[in-house]
Amino acid sequence: MAEVILRDVAKKYGQLPVVHGVNLTISDGEFVVLVGPSGCGKSTTLRMIAGLESISSGTISIGNKVVNDLPPKDRDIAMVFQNYALYQQMTVYDNLAFGLRNRKVPEDDIRIEVARATQILGLDPLLSRKPFQLSGGQQQRVAFGRCIVRHPQVFLFDEPLSNLDAKLRAQMRLEIKSLRERVPTTSVYVTHDQVEAMTLGDRVVVMKDGWIQQVGTPLEIYNLPANRFVASFIGAPAMNFIEVDLVEEQGKLRANAEKFSIGVPEPQASLLRKHRVGSVTLGVRPENVHLGSPPVDTDTNFVGEVAVTEQLGAELIVAIKSAGSAIMASRIPPDTSLAIHENVSMWMNPKSLHFFDAKTEAALR
Amino acid sequence: MLLLIAPAAFVLVCFQIVPILVGMNASFRDWSLVNPLKTWVGLSQYVAVFTDPIFLKVVLPNTFVLMVTSVAASLGLGLVLASLLNKPFFGRPLLRTIILLPLTIAPVITATMIRWSFNDQFGVITTFLAYLGLPEIAWLSDRWPSFTLVILTDIWIWAPWFTIILLAALQGLPPEQFEAAKIDAATPWRTFTHVTLPMLRPVIVVCVLIRSIDAFRTFDQVWILTGGGPARSTEVFSVYVYVQAFINLDFGRGAAAAGVGAIIMLFVGIGLYRLVNRTMETSR
Amino acid sequence: MMAALGAAIRRGVFSIGVLAIFVLFVGPVAILVLTSVRPASGAYYIWRGTTFTLQNFVEVAQQSQVMQAMFNSFVLSTLATIFSLGITVGSGYMLSRFSGWIQRSWFATIYVFRTVPYISWVLPLYLVNTRLGIYDTYLGLLLPHVAVHVCFFSWLMKGFFDGINPSMEHAALIDGCTRWGAFYRVALPSAMPGIAALAILCWLSTWNEFLFALILSGQRTPLITSTMAQFVTETGTEWNLMSATAVFAMLPALLVTVFGQKYVIRGLRM
Repeated sequence: MAEVILRDVAKKYGQLPVVHGVNLTISDGEFVVLVGPSGCGKSTTLRMIAGLESISSGTISIGNKVVNDLPPKDRDIAMVFQNYALYQQMTVYDNLAFGLRNRKVPEDDIRIEVARATQILGLDPLLSRKPFQLSGGQQQRVAFGRCIVRHPQVFLFDEPLSNLDAKLRAQMRLEIKSLRERVPTTSVYVTHDQVEAMTLGDRVVVMKDGWIQQVGTPLEIYNLPANRFVASFIGAPAMNFIEVDLVEEQGKLRANAEKFSIGVPEPQASLLRKHRVGSVTLGVRPENVHLGSPPVDTDTNFVGEVAVTEQLGAELIVAIKSAGSAIMASRIPPDTSLAIHENVSMWMNPKSLHFFDAKTEAALR
Repeated sequence: MLLLIAPAAFVLVCFQIVPILVGMNASFRDWSLVNPLKTWVGLSQYVAVFTDPIFLKVVLPNTFVLMVTSVAASLGLGLVLASLLNKPFFGRPLLRTIILLPLTIAPVITATMIRWSFNDQFGVITTFLAYLGLPEIAWLSDRWPSFTLVILTDIWIWAPWFTIILLAALQGLPPEQFEAAKIDAATPWRTFTHVTLPMLRPVIVVCVLIRSIDAFRTFDQVWILTGGGPARSTEVFSVYVYVQAFINLDFGRGAAAAGVGAIIMLFVGIGLYRLVNRTMETSR
Repeated sequence: MMAALGAAIRRGVFSIGVLAIFVLFVGPVAILVLTSVRPASGAYYIWRGTTFTLQNFVEVAQQSQVMQAMFNSFVLSTLATIFSLGITVGSGYMLSRFSGWIQRSWFATIYVFRTVPYISWVLPLYLVNTRLGIYDTYLGLLLPHVAVHVCFFSWLMKGFFDGINPSMEHAALIDGCTRWGAFYRVALPSAMPGIAALAILCWLSTWNEFLFALILSGQRTPLITSTMAQFVTETGTEWNLMSATAVFAMLPALLVTVFGQKYVIRGLRM
């Protein structure tokens, strides 16, 4: 049972709190991603699990054992670092064998384990080379290898793909996924890249300023963000936010802004009426903003002036000046002709509107 | 462009290159205070130096022994001290300043201090050792005890040099490999030998190179501690040259000896330079 | 329990180690300083007896040769530093910013002549000095010291300038500076921390230098190191006076180190 449980884990540097009361239960075999901007505490949390940072308060247990006072080597974990942290002066083979040798594993067993890891990761031609002779992707694979030779209970990843270029990153994401198939292990993965979070995680933990903002499956986080930060952080292009005033008009609730007015559909209208708020932040993802006239009975159309268009080949992304700021729309057919300053009508998918409290930024559901 | 190096080149030529040439010239002549004729004698001075038993059996071995043991021990002690000073502890700033003492004080003065401390009648350390019940050693009247003292003094002076440079290098090392080693259950010793040392290798090699070349030229400590004695048994290369030129007043012989040393150092320097380059290549 | 005991033992050994190092490096100095404040009778067996005196220092200060030597060493160190730096700054800049056969040959010259043992050229230097009539004069000491530094400092200066991004000088050239102006107004100020560090090291090494002092100076321009050596090798018996002289010789170097330490660290951290 390799469950990782964090209870009220907090970290302070002197008087400065960096991580506040993190509560998280990671089930056996689950792949959990900690994601957030720089300084949000995700790496610190990971390092506390690893034992590289001391825990100011709270407990961390790995596989039913509280590990607060255990040094990293006794926690039965393995870690992949952002800059690989391979032992530069040792061959790949020795890099893989180092941890086992330190634990006095017999050389024959070491050979078997290294062979297994080599076979899984395709490291065979690289075994006698030294890290500086390898490419970034190869070095990272050796780092993975170092993890799996020891059969630890938990894998920890500290932004392992951040040092790679975009194309290589996409490739390595697939490799990580295939690694998961071959060697399923409880994993905690830290990244600032929301694409990695969405594609790799069974569950995603969004963090900001040392606090957990939301925990959920990728789809949950995407479709039901708990607050404005999570909504803006996940998904690219980022969600549009419009400050609107809620006004009753002829029995219908409307969300109004400068030269902008859309009808609030049910069930959100009743919800908002119950909350009795006057102003809220309306959130809508660019892929839910469409060009043209809305279907019948949909009251979510607006008009604006084209500010910028970005041609991506597969789609067109457009910024429309409306409601006092720019509203982004994506997934526009790439051959649509739109001129700058042209006035266009747009409409929003009524099923995909999010409303956030203007002050607390929490999602109103 | 030439103007930039003109003054430096001028001084270099006048006061280093010309003297070296003069020295080379002198080494081919029979030139002493006794015989100011400066007759050309070809290589006979060099032959004389090479066949001088003191040179072959005492001076050269002494110099190389000093070079090797001093550099090795200074490096070792320097590594230990640098590792010690790498993590903060109570009194670390004070200790870091204390380490600078040997580098601040002139070797002449250091040698004086050591000579006084080991004075066979009144030396503090001699008396202390006797107090501990250890057998009496005639520090400055026998060859090996006095040579040991010379070596120890050299280590006292130069270990801090290694310490400062290695400490700066240690503090510049990236922490990730050490963290990985911690997770890999490496003991402090294995971490040191397998992670720290390999990363320090370029710095160590350069330091050893510089220090070895300097160690060959040691003069100050030997001169003050033993004067090359007793009976010329602790002479090192620089002292031998000095003795020939300014005590025996045989400039020709002295110049030849100096020339021999220069040539030896030239080869050692080139050899070490190549070694350094090759090590830098493999550890990039 | 065992872990705590192990940690305590480790800490104990560590403290003993630190103490040992302290004693090792401070010991000889302390012995010397202690000897210098004991009267002549108490210079032997310095740990017995409690009479301390500053008389030794007074006596030494009255010896004109020692004071003259201190003065000479001071002047020499300062001048040598100024001249050495002045000359090698240009040399180092040239090595760093230019290329071509002149640069390569100069670099090779620098490198080769750095390995020559001092004794190999001090001996003939004595002859050269005598021939030029500058033996045992300021000039006769200054120029050789500067010559010694040419090789090493050029090499270091090159390193300093290598570490400074040349685009700043390019920008200066575009902004209308001459090559000299770019050097003087852009590169040189950036190299100042390193140069300051080098200045302190140069001053110290000249103050402490012995071999050249021994051979190239005599009665007219004594230097503190050769004077010190003279006392010691002349069957020294008045160790209390000798240690007082040694303390005098040490003090300026110690002061320069204490005050210059942070400049050296800052400058060499390039």
